[in-house]
Amino acid sequence: MSNAKERKHAKKMRNQPTNVTLSSGFVADRGTKYHNGGGRHFHQAQKQEPFPGTSRQRQTKMTHHSPVDPDVKEQSSSKIMFKKKGGWKAGPEGMSQEIPKYITASTFAQARAAEISAMLKAVTQKSSNSLVFQTLPRHMRRRAMSHNVKRLPRRLREIAQKEAEKAVHQKKEHSKNKCHKARRCHKNRVLEFNRRQKKNIWLETHIWHAKRFHMVKKWGYCLGERPTVKSHRACYRAMTNRCLLQDLSYYCCLELKGKEEEILKALSPMCSIDAGLTFAAVHCLSGKCQGSVLLYRANRYPREMLGPVTFIWKSERTPSHTSESRQLWIWLHPMLKQDILEELKAACQCVEPIKPTICTPGPLLTTSEEKSQTELPDEKIGKKRKRKDDGENAKPVKKVIGDGTRDPHQPSSWISAATGIIISDLTMEMNRLRLIGPLSHSILTEALKAASVQTEGEDTEKTPHHWWIETCKNPDSVSLHHRQEAIFELLGGITSPAEIPSGTILGLTVGDPRINLPPKRSKVLPNPEKCQDNEKVRQLLLEGVPVDCAHSFIWNQAICKNVTENKISDQDLNRRRSELLVPGSQLVLGPQESKIPILLIQQPGKVTGDDRRGWGSGWDILFPKGWGMAFWIPFIYRGARVGGLKESVMHSQYKRSPDIPGDFPDCPAGVVFAEEQAKNLLEKYKRRPPAKRPNYVKLGTLAPFCCPWEQLAQEWESRVQAQEEPSVASSPSGEDSDSRRDKLPCAPTPENTDLWSDEGGTSLSSCSEPREAMDTECPARVGTEWVACQDATGSLLCVLRSRKWLKQLSTWCGPSSRDKRAARRASGSGEPAPTRAACLPLLERFPRALVWVSLALLRKGSPEPHSMICVPTEEDFLRLRQDQLYCGPQESKHSDPFKSEIRKQKERKKVEKRQNKQAPTEREGLAGGPPAAGHQALTLGLWSGPLPGVTSHCSRVLLGFVTQGDFSMAVGGGEALGFVSLTGLLDMLSTQPAAERGLVLLRAPASPQYRFARIAVEV
Amino acid sequence: SMAENREPRGAVEAELDPVEYTLRKRLPHRLPRRPNDIYVNMKTDFKAQLARCQKLLDGGARGQNSCSEIYIHGLGLAINRAINIALQLQAGSFGSLQVAANTSTVELVDELEPETDAREPLTRIRNNSAIHIRVFRVAP
Repeated sequence: MSNAKERKHAKKMRNQPTNVTLSSGFVADRGTKYHNGGGRHFHQAQKQEPFPGTSRQRQTKMTHHSPVDPDVKEQSSSKIMFKKKGGWKAGPEGMSQEIPKYITASTFAQARAAEISAMLKAVTQKSSNSLVFQTLPRHMRRRAMSHNVKRLPRRLREIAQKEAEKAVHQKKEHSKNKCHKARRCHKNRVLEFNRRQKKNIWLETHIWHAKRFHMVKKWGYCLGERPTVKSHRACYRAMTNRCLLQDLSYYCCLELKGKEEEILKALSPMCSIDAGLTFAAVHCLSGKCQGSVLLYRANRYPREMLGPVTFIWKSERTPSHTSESRQLWIWLHPMLKQDILEELKAACQCVEPIKPTICTPGPLLTTSEEKSQTELPDEKIGKKRKRKDDGENAKPVKKVIGDGTRDPHQPSSWISAATGIIISDLTMEMNRLRLIGPLSHSILTEALKAASVQTEGEDTEKTPHHWWIETCKNPDSVSLHHRQEAIFELLGGITSPAEIPSGTILGLTVGDPRINLPPKRSKVLPNPEKCQDNEKVRQLLLEGVPVDCAHSFIWNQAICKNVTENKISDQDLNRRRSELLVPGSQLVLGPQESKIPILLIQQPGKVTGDDRRGWGSGWDILFPKGWGMAFWIPFIYRGARVGGLKESVMHSQYKRSPDIPGDFPDCPAGVVFAEEQAKNLLEKYKRRPPAKRPNYVKLGTLAPFCCPWEQLAQEWESRVQAQEEPSVASSPSGEDSDSRRDKLPCAPTPENTDLWSDEGGTSLSSCSEPREAMDTECPARVGTEWVACQDATGSLLCVLRSRKWLKQLSTWCGPSSRDKRAARRASGSGEPAPTRAACLPLLERFPRALVWVSLALLRKGSPEPHSMICVPTEEDFLRLRQDQLYCGPQESKHSDPFKSEIRKQKERKKVEKRQNKQAPTEREGLAGGPPAAGHQALTLGLWSGPLPGVTSHCSRVLLGFVTQGDFSMAVGGGEALGFVSLTGLLDMLSTQPAAERGLVLLRAPASPQYRFARIAVEV
Repeated sequence: SMAENREPRGAVEAELDPVEYTLRKRLPHRLPRRPNDIYVNMKTDFKAQLARCQKLLDGGARGQNSCSEIYIHGLGLAINRAINIALQLQAGSFGSLQVAANTSTVELVDELEPETDAREPLTRIRNNSAIHIRVFRVAP
């Protein structure tokens, strides 16, 4: 009999009275009448009454059977039945089925009485842990039984009552003592929403997202991570063939206002022309194009990276060269904001905060009002009272628009007395939506219509769209508006955003996009009529948008505020729509229609490399806050698919551009990101039982969750140095790495420091094994030197971003670049292999640098994040050449030095536990916790303690790590992006033969299989 | 997508200074794709592209949704391949398909990205040949 079956049966019989056994399958199957009074056979027993003494006889027979298992007591009758089954089968007296001769009435009645009472007890006692009403048969169940006790049969009410009370106690305190209906009423809902967005900022599309996306709290925002529907491939298709929409309103905008020269002078130390164009690039400075730049701490290039940003200058209306006051917007990822804002303030000497003018009226409730709202429900007040109260607070509750978390008294702009520059933080003051894909043109032109020019109408300060009437009085402005409109209409005839000059800016003023909302969600298709070849389109493609058309009123804060405040509510709009004479006809608001200034920015797609050029290009649209949903829904109704954060990562991965902030290991935000990621992965790893998770120690993966960049760069540096000195090079690698570790201050990954510090405190108390001794001395070293190496060696780590050198590297990387002429041109000397002499200036300047590389799998395999990039050996190449199907070498199994340690700890713990049990009083004072708890730091399958030499730990020398990697649907094969050590890359390239130059091996952290990949540096 | 563009002519290259500019080729301007338009490229396997055309002409299992005519477009290097596909289709059709070819010139835009702040980005236009082959059914 299976164990599980037995257990199940035992559970069923758990609450049965001692001498009663329900007839179970076992009894019935046998077909014996040999029962001792199971409910079903009860009447049979009564029939047998004329024969007294049966029961006694049965008792004796029972005892006769029981010797099979003499321990078994009467209590566990069910058990007896089981145990006896075998005995019955085997026993010769299995045929004792004859009916008893006589029954003694009194004993029989006694036995029956006991049985009946037991049965009654069993009926009243509930055996399972389900609720009473759940145990009822289906035909007796009623609606809302759990809610209303009276719907239950009367006999069960008492129990149900008890249960209900218990449930009430268990249930956490209901936050608002309001009924569902009251909570759903608009005012209360807005209040509740306002409360909930005090901690994390909500985007304006939050509710829409929350219904359809997995939401995450990140960077101080609530963001949609990925759609709940299965849509990975659909989103890819949308990016490639149709249109993907994203809400990027969480991106932060910093505004710099001041004289052009002053701003440029202040910003120039923060960027370098070596790493690409700067803020002063001519076409960006005019306001024609968006630029992108990598920011560094002032004068610290190439180290101390702060992060990548994009920027736009406000175009000058009049082409005078006075450049009195210019406006510059810097758009950046929220994770980079703190560092960059501080650095900008320092660079511009903006120290004087400007007091916020009349702390944001409206959106945030005043505290007194809030208090009244929260206090009211506490005292149980009647309906009437509530109504009256509502009447008092006649002022409608305002929705939070913009940043709900910010303290209104906190300054958001700073001025400098010396330079006159004003820096303001415009976070959440604007919405930013991104449309990716070829259909974005059609969607934009369908959904948005340029605002109509408005000349008549009373012109007072109080009319809602006063600014527009004023603008329309100026013929120049009107003609500019018409030109902008004409260019915008031209966009509809262009099939892909990639055909337009990258970074093009187009300003426009549009009407309310809700007016033209189609009645149903539909898919727009490009209109072939618009796509006729014409001179205007040709000119647009060649020259881009003229500078003056980049002008938009969105740069004017007052107008933006006006537009936000004068938005017609959805309710009003719908009411007017319902009042139309012909239902479904076009709603004409006339002068009351809002005019919204917007800014369109073209986003270039994939610009590096040869293939899939222009993939993932699209448009960003900026508009004032408060209008998020008004633009969002029309886009969706035209067939845009919405993506979340995961789709952003996919977008950047297929574009082969580094993801912000994950792929910037040299910037503080990147380090924080890596730490968080490592923590999450470690937690996830620990959740699985040890047997169901990879043992990374045995696989030879030292750092499966976090890439030790610094250690990698250091080791390669000393490795190459050692190669130059032959005496050192001859020493065995293990010794070499050890000595190196002593020589260099160890550069622990953040995750590991945690592990050590946990262990360090405890292992002192435990036994004195050599390995532990090593551990104990290490934390001390960490404690003292970790800070030091942050300053001394940590600053040496950088990522190579010099365009000149990257171009050189990309030609060195071998035959990956198909454009051979370009390769020859760039390399200059025409020398294909990097020689020692050619590398030297590079290595001297960047001794510990990383290079951003892209990897394409040669044959099978799809890489994962944190995969290791390794250098193949001669014999790997040999086998690759010989065998068409050769996938790659395999890493042999490593020994796990920690396993015995963990086992010992376990045993120790067990012993301690036993001791604790035996002498609780004696041990209590000692509190046996610490020694046992401390050793939890050791996790089976993870390397604990300082990492040994990472480069030479496995059979193939480690070159770098993958940060993003997956099967690429765009290429139809595995693709990965990652960083390698510059020193290592050059070393590898110089030794590899020309035919195989640029081939590396990739190994996933949880696999012993290496796979071939081709490395490429794309500029 | 269209075939990869051909490399710039010598004259264009002579003016270009690699230190000051980086060449980025932009996508060719094109019309919206109808279901029966096929743009031939040099990256996809030849057989796959041929099969795709054949499938369009044949339609579904019982010949539903079949196109009576398809257009095969080839640009630059892919002209050869476009012609090859059209002829293969015709040869395999036992005389039920006819081809009619048109040639045209496509303007391609090269973007020259500056490497220094002081220079404006430039655009160059170069021409490339293209072929548009109409493959259609005729009554046998």
